[in-house]
Amino acid sequence: MTEDFSRRSLLKAAAALAGGGLLVGCAPGASRSTTNLNYWHLLTGGDGTVMAGLVDAVNAANLGFRTTQTVLAWGPPYYTKLAMASAGGRAPDVAVMHASRIAGYAPGGLLEPWDLDLLAEAGLRKEDFPARVWEKCQYDGKLYAIALDTHPFVLYYNTDHAEKAGVTEALHSLKSPEEFTEVATKLQKVTGKHGLSYGYLGDGAQMWRLFYTLYRQTGADMKLVPGQQAEVDKDAAVKTLTFIRSLLNDTIASRSGDGGTATSEFLHGESGMFFGGVWELPVLKEAKLPIDAVPIPTMFGTQAAYADSHTFVLPRQSKVSPERRKHVYTMVAELLKRSVKWAGGGHIPAYQPVATSAEYQALKPQSNYAGIPAYVNYDPDVWFSGAGSDFQNYFAENVQNVFLGSGDPAAGFDGFVARLNKLLDRPQPV
Amino acid sequence: MSTAIDTPAATTEEVTAQGKAKAKRGETLTGWAFAAPFAVLFVLFLVIPALYGLYLSFTGETLTGAGSGLVGFSNYADALRDPDMWKSLGNTVWFTALSTIPLIVLSLALALLVNLGLPGRWLWRLSFFLPYLLASTVVVMFWSWMYNPKLGLINGVLEQFGAGPVAWLQDPKVAMFSVVITTLWWTIGFNFLLYLAALQNIPEQQFEAAALDGAGKWRQLFSIVIPQLAPTTALLVTLQILASLKVFDQIYMLTNGGPAGTTRSIVQYIYESGFTGYRFGYSSAISYLFFALIVLVSLAQYKLINRRSAA
Repeated sequence: MTEDFSRRSLLKAAAALAGGGLLVGCAPGASRSTTNLNYWHLLTGGDGTVMAGLVDAVNAANLGFRTTQTVLAWGPPYYTKLAMASAGGRAPDVAVMHASRIAGYAPGGLLEPWDLDLLAEAGLRKEDFPARVWEKCQYDGKLYAIALDTHPFVLYYNTDHAEKAGVTEALHSLKSPEEFTEVATKLQKVTGKHGLSYGYLGDGAQMWRLFYTLYRQTGADMKLVPGQQAEVDKDAAVKTLTFIRSLLNDTIASRSGDGGTATSEFLHGESGMFFGGVWELPVLKEAKLPIDAVPIPTMFGTQAAYADSHTFVLPRQSKVSPERRKHVYTMVAELLKRSVKWAGGGHIPAYQPVATSAEYQALKPQSNYAGIPAYVNYDPDVWFSGAGSDFQNYFAENVQNVFLGSGDPAAGFDGFVARLNKLLDRPQPV
Repeated sequence: MSTAIDTPAATTEEVTAQGKAKAKRGETLTGWAFAAPFAVLFVLFLVIPALYGLYLSFTGETLTGAGSGLVGFSNYADALRDPDMWKSLGNTVWFTALSTIPLIVLSLALALLVNLGLPGRWLWRLSFFLPYLLASTVVVMFWSWMYNPKLGLINGVLEQFGAGPVAWLQDPKVAMFSVVITTLWWTIGFNFLLYLAALQNIPEQQFEAAALDGAGKWRQLFSIVIPQLAPTTALLVTLQILASLKVFDQIYMLTNGGPAGTTRSIVQYIYESGFTGYRFGYSSAISYLFFALIVLVSLAQYKLINRRSAA
C-alpha cells in the first residue's frame, strides 16, 4: 500500500513538473495559464479555517491566478520573517499585517503602497471603508494597507445571569465606573463565584487592550514621536489602572486570572461577564452558552474602544511583475467581497458593502458592536508599537504587579513611560 | 629537507628521514581531506558568521539596512550603559548559579541511588533520563499547566495541605525558581547518565580493599567514589555552566522573560534587540560582550582544573 501511495505521489510530482514546464514554455499570452500568487498570513485556529475557505473560494472562481497560502506562527515569529523577507526583496506577493504594525514597516521601505487607480479598477474605493480605518492604513500620505476587518476588545455577558441579576438594561446604558462595579457585584451574587472574568496574567496584549480602551475613554491620548518625550496623560492612566485594580479583587474578578482560566470560568457559568477580543466569539458560541456581546460601556465620558485590523499589504519585492500585481489587486478585492464569512469569526468587516449588508446585520451578536469602527482607537503610531510587538511586553513588565494588586499605579505607569522614552530616544531602526 | 637533496652523498639515514617526511606530508593531506567536509561547514556557518557578527557590532546595521555605516565602539558603549542589558546579564548569572549546583549534586545523588542496585533499576534509570529526551516545547507545555495558578496541579496539591496559591510564573520573586525547577527536571538526566557510567567504571577491588581495611559505606563514598568521579565532575561543571549561561528556550516559552523582566536571559535580550527591535549592530555588540564573558569563564575553569590535576 505504501508503495502504491508513493508511486502515486511520484506520478503527481511528475505531472506537476510537466505542467510547470508547459507553463514556462508558453507563459506570455497563454490565456489558460494561471499565475501562482504567494500569500503569507498568521491566522490559525478558527480564523485560519475561514481564511483557507475564502482563498479556496477565490481560487475556484478561476480568475487567472491561484493563491497559495503560507501560514506562519502568530506574533513576533511572523513579523520577523516577513520583515526579513521584505528586506531581502524576496517577499510573498501579498501578506496580512495588523494595521498597528504599518508604522513599523512602511518607513523602512519594507512595504510598497497600493495604487489607488488599480484599486478602483478592482472595485475598491476609499468610500468603501470606514474613515478611521482607512486613515490608519495610511503612512506619509500613501495607502499601505487594505483593511479586511476591525477587531475590537469587547464585553461579553451571560444573558441568563444578567436576567437573574436584573442588569441587562444597565449593561447597555451604564455610564460610570461605579455603575459597572455595581453590575459586576450583582452578577457575582448570582453566580456565587465571580462577576467578571478577565485573563491577563503573563499576557501584555490583554492588559494593554483593556487599559487602552478605558484610558482613551477618559479623553486622554498617547503621542509617541521618535526624538521627543512620550506625550501621555498620567492622571488618566492612574485613574484607569486604579479602577482596573479595584475590579481584580478576587470577588468581582480573579486577581490572577490567565487567559485559559478566564475563558473556562465564563464558559462554565461561573461568572457573568468576560472581557475579550471579538475573535474569541467562535469558542464562546460553540459552548452553546446564552451569551451576548456589547462594546465596553463608556464609563469615563468619551466613547472609545481598543481595536486592531487585519489588513493586506504588499511586501517589498526586488522584482515586481505588473501582471502578478494586478492579480493581487483582484484577489484582495474578491476576498473582501466574501468577507461576510470572515465576520462569522467575530470580526467587523471593513468593506462597507459587506458591513452594511442585510446578511451581516442579521449576525448576532456581531452587529451589536458593528458601530465601533466609527470611534475605534488603534495603538499609538510608532515603529515599536502594535500587535505582537515588544511594546505590549514593556507594558506588562511595568504594570502587571499593579493588576496583581501589589504595585502602585503611578509607579507602574512611570516605569512604562520611562521605557517608551528610552525607545523614542534611539534612532529609528526602520 | 632541501639540503638533503642538494648533498650528493646522502647517507642512508638521511634518505629514510626524507622518505618519512614525504609519508608524513601524505598523511597530513589525507587528514585534511577527512576533515574537509567538517572544516568547510565550520568555516561557512561558524567562522564567517562570527566574524561578520563582529563587523556588524561596529556598525549601526538594522533589519532594513538603514544606518549601516561604521559607528566605532558606540554600540558597546550603549550596551554597557543599558540597564536592561545588565539586568538580563544578572538574571543569566543568577540562573546559572541556581541551576548548576543542584544539577550536579542531585544528579550524583540520583546516580548513587540507582547504583545501589534497588529493584526495578531500569525503571529508575529510564524515568530519570526520559525527560532529557523531550523537546523543550513539550516540557514547557507540561510545566506551564502544572504551574497554572488556578487550575494547575501544583497549586491543587498545595491547597490540599492548606497552603496558599503561589503564582509560580507571575510572581517576580518566584518565577526564576520555577524556571530552575523545570530545567532541573528536564536536563538532569544527562548528568545523571554520565555519573552512572562513571560510577560503574570504578574498579570493584578498591571497594573490597577498603572493606577489608574496615571502611564503612560513607567512608568509601568520600574516600573512593567522589575522588574517582572528579574528572566527570569537572567535565559536568564545565558543560553545565556553559549550558546554563546560554539558557533561552524554556524561559522564552514559560515566561517570555517576565514578570517585569525578572527572568529575561541575556540570549533573549540579544534576540529581542536584533529580531524584534531590528537593531542588528547593537545586538551583535551584546553578543560579543557575552562571548567575552564565556571565554573568561572557560579560561578560569581550564586553569582551575589544570591546577587540580597537576597537584
